[in-house]
Amino acid sequence: MSEPALLTVEKLEVVYHRTITAVQGISLSVRKGQIVAILGTNGAGKSTTLRAISGFLGIDDARVTDGSVTFNGRRIENRQPNEITRFGIALVPERDKVFPNLTVIENLTAPFAPSHYNRRDSEDLAYQFFPRLAELRSRTAGLLSGGERQMLALASALVCRPELLLVDELSLGLAPVIVQDLMARLVQIRHELGTTIVIVEQSAAAALSVADYGYVLENGRVVLDGEGARLRAHGDIQEFYLGQTSGSDRRSYRSVKQYRRSRRWYG
Amino acid sequence: MQLAVNIVVLSAIYALIACGYVLIYRVSRVLNLAHGELMMLGAYLLLATAASFAGNPVAAIAAAVVLSLAVGILVYVFLMRKMTGEMVLAAVLTTVALGTLLRGLMVLIWSAQQQYPGQALGFDNPAIALPGGGRISTFAAILVVTTALVYTGLFVFLRFGRWGVRMRAAGQNPLLAAQRGINLHAVYALAWGLSTLTGSMAGMLIALDSGLTSSMTVIGLKAFPAALVGGLDSLVGALVGALIIGAAEVLSIQYVDPLLSDVVPFLVLIAMLIVRPWGLFGTREELDRV
Amino acid sequence: MSRGTPRASGYFRTDYAQDLALTQTRLERASLLAFAVILAAFPFLATAFYLDLACQVFLAAIGALSLMLLTGYAGQISLGHAGLLAAGAFTAGILFREFNAPFWVTLPAAAAVGALLGIVFGLPSLRLRGLYLAVSTLALHFVVVYLGGEYESKRGYSTGIMIDAPTIGGYAITNGRVWYFVLLVAAVATLLICINLLRSRTGRAWRAIRAHETVAEALGINIAAYKLLAFVISSAMAAVAGALFAYYRHFVSVEAFSLFLSIQYVAMIIVGGMGSLLGALLGAVFVTLFPYLIEAALQQLPNAQSYAGVLFAVNYAAFGAVMILFLLFEPLGLVGIWHRVQHYFLLWPFKHRPVAGAGK
Repeated sequence: MSEPALLTVEKLEVVYHRTITAVQGISLSVRKGQIVAILGTNGAGKSTTLRAISGFLGIDDARVTDGSVTFNGRRIENRQPNEITRFGIALVPERDKVFPNLTVIENLTAPFAPSHYNRRDSEDLAYQFFPRLAELRSRTAGLLSGGERQMLALASALVCRPELLLVDELSLGLAPVIVQDLMARLVQIRHELGTTIVIVEQSAAAALSVADYGYVLENGRVVLDGEGARLRAHGDIQEFYLGQTSGSDRRSYRSVKQYRRSRRWYG
Repeated sequence: MQLAVNIVVLSAIYALIACGYVLIYRVSRVLNLAHGELMMLGAYLLLATAASFAGNPVAAIAAAVVLSLAVGILVYVFLMRKMTGEMVLAAVLTTVALGTLLRGLMVLIWSAQQQYPGQALGFDNPAIALPGGGRISTFAAILVVTTALVYTGLFVFLRFGRWGVRMRAAGQNPLLAAQRGINLHAVYALAWGLSTLTGSMAGMLIALDSGLTSSMTVIGLKAFPAALVGGLDSLVGALVGALIIGAAEVLSIQYVDPLLSDVVPFLVLIAMLIVRPWGLFGTREELDRV
Repeated sequence: MSRGTPRASGYFRTDYAQDLALTQTRLERASLLAFAVILAAFPFLATAFYLDLACQVFLAAIGALSLMLLTGYAGQISLGHAGLLAAGAFTAGILFREFNAPFWVTLPAAAAVGALLGIVFGLPSLRLRGLYLAVSTLALHFVVVYLGGEYESKRGYSTGIMIDAPTIGGYAITNGRVWYFVLLVAAVATLLICINLLRSRTGRAWRAIRAHETVAEALGINIAAYKLLAFVISSAMAAVAGALFAYYRHFVSVEAFSLFLSIQYVAMIIVGGMGSLLGALLGAVFVTLFPYLIEAALQQLPNAQSYAGVLFAVNYAAFGAVMILFLLFEPLGLVGIWHRVQHYFLLWPFKHRPVAGAGK
């Protein structure tokens, strides 16, 4: 643990419309080259955290009111999105992730790559990880299938050569097989490019299959965090997020006690 | 035949003006209702450069063109940039206010008199006889050719140019564009610059052809239905819309009532809003954006 | 959301009568009374010039209130308000010229024509929103003005239609003071109508539509009906204002109803402050007095005479500049400024209201 973290979020507090505190004191840290998963149900504050990191809070009238986000030693909370992009963070958003009326090639060449790369380099990079896109070069992005669109979204984020890649809800609306495939590509990206990846997921199974480290959010707070393997084996995670009940169908007192203990998450 | 010539000329005028509306709307969803006044400003700039570069019409024209590009960019940088991100309607009202301001300033600086930049530059405007019996003035012919060149240039730029693609991207999904490193302010400034440039060219050519009068802003406003009928975010639409409006106007003057000329474009506009609000070639989702 | 005037400490309304009353505190009643006294005494203290100014303000106020109902409360943008004023003025003019109709026929007729036109202006709002709606109202404005121009040229009134003063039982209203009171009553009546409308179910429906149309529809509000109603009422009021304007000036002509007039009315509700009747009034005062202020300012300059010929251009330029300044820096308008001043004094020595949910 001698090297400093690439990204540190400390006691982050995000308020919407000056009234609703969506994120209440979240702290997390991401080391270079890690794949970190942020899990939780709807409304837990996952996407908000991601938006706070990538600078997109202003759109929804939200602000970071306390705490800090530090990237490479630089404070980046409440900064403009295009500034944050130049620091080396790329976000693949949940919705509207491609330019629908542009072709696949145009989607790949419109983003700003660092100056010593040209168009050809960007295309090659994209096809290296997503060969399917090479066949779809002239297709209009809006006509792609869900999985292809997600691939294009990831590729266009990669074109910016980010140090940190943020992926919001990769698995939404996709068949499990495709999700698995995409997760494998993420691992490949980390392996070949050294990009640090943070994924926000409702599908804990998919996320935990690739994550080195994970944070579980509930109601704007981190309730559990740990190494990927530990989380996969954790009873509560298994029960609430992976859908695996422990023991027989008949609820015994011990299981009820398990629920009771878990109530602390909502406290 | 003369009727056909008139239609072509009027349509070319409307098309050259309309592409300015489309450029800004497509990229930033703002309706620039000051376009007519900016057009007129271009013509006045030509008058000013004609005086400064007396005896060198080419330099005068070039200077005026460059100045109008600069004006467009400056309007964005110093005024419209502050409205980016606000409600679109507020931005549109800002352009209305800008138009009013410009109109007042232009009269104050240059007086409300009719001006003739063509004379100032030493140009003649002889009528050219066309095969088939029609006649067209020189500058009207130049205008038609200019419109064709401008549209070709814009099509190529938007389709293949690096910044053209970025402009289209910013128009479709500004958030994503910002996230991918595209400087939205730069893109919008470019759109405003190009829009004012093409509008000014229209203003200059009209002034060279038939003089600089205050009716130029009316022409500018009448070209707006052409943009909307075709679809506010479609260049092809602007071309087609201009043809429709131009034809409607010329034909109604000829066969119905000359007084209709100022209101026909708006009648067509109303008809289109009833039948197909997003225009002939516009993207449908535009409708709900406020 | 606290509406309107902030009050220093809690006070309670204990019955419906209190809730419905126009003024709530003693201070409000007293200031209203003082204001009424000033308004009543004004014509006896002012010169003819200021009397005319006040009359213009009242006329503008009626138009501004009607536009505020439509745009500030119901959320339907209209850039064609001058067209509706023109419709009312021309109705009065045409009925007078063709049929020698008295004012108690022309005014209701103007209202009816306005209402009808309101339906026409309002139909696009059922399909269009925001920018496209504004554009449709703009187009309709041009059509109305064109029709007025057609009438003028076809009937040979190329310079405009002259109208006689309205007569009540043989007495012609020509005296400036009498006009003042007539228009004051009209303006106050309009204001009361607006206040009552906004407190009723209609007003609530409008606010809901403006805030979030889809949700309003989901709550069972008949959006189409209320949108059309907003246009109809607003247009009828504007038409009556136009007719009164015609009678006041004894004159109707298309030139008076240009696009710039529409812009002026939009400026009134923006500069005044959207979503507030007080804003409409403040905006009407501001925009009406503005050209006179500019002229007075010009007189102070050394070369006063040279500007005489281009006064209208100076007006345009100054108006555009002020409108830009308000849009950029004070989007809440004069009412916003007024509220900030009130807040400052009410909350002093504190600076801000406590934020909801403050403290952990």
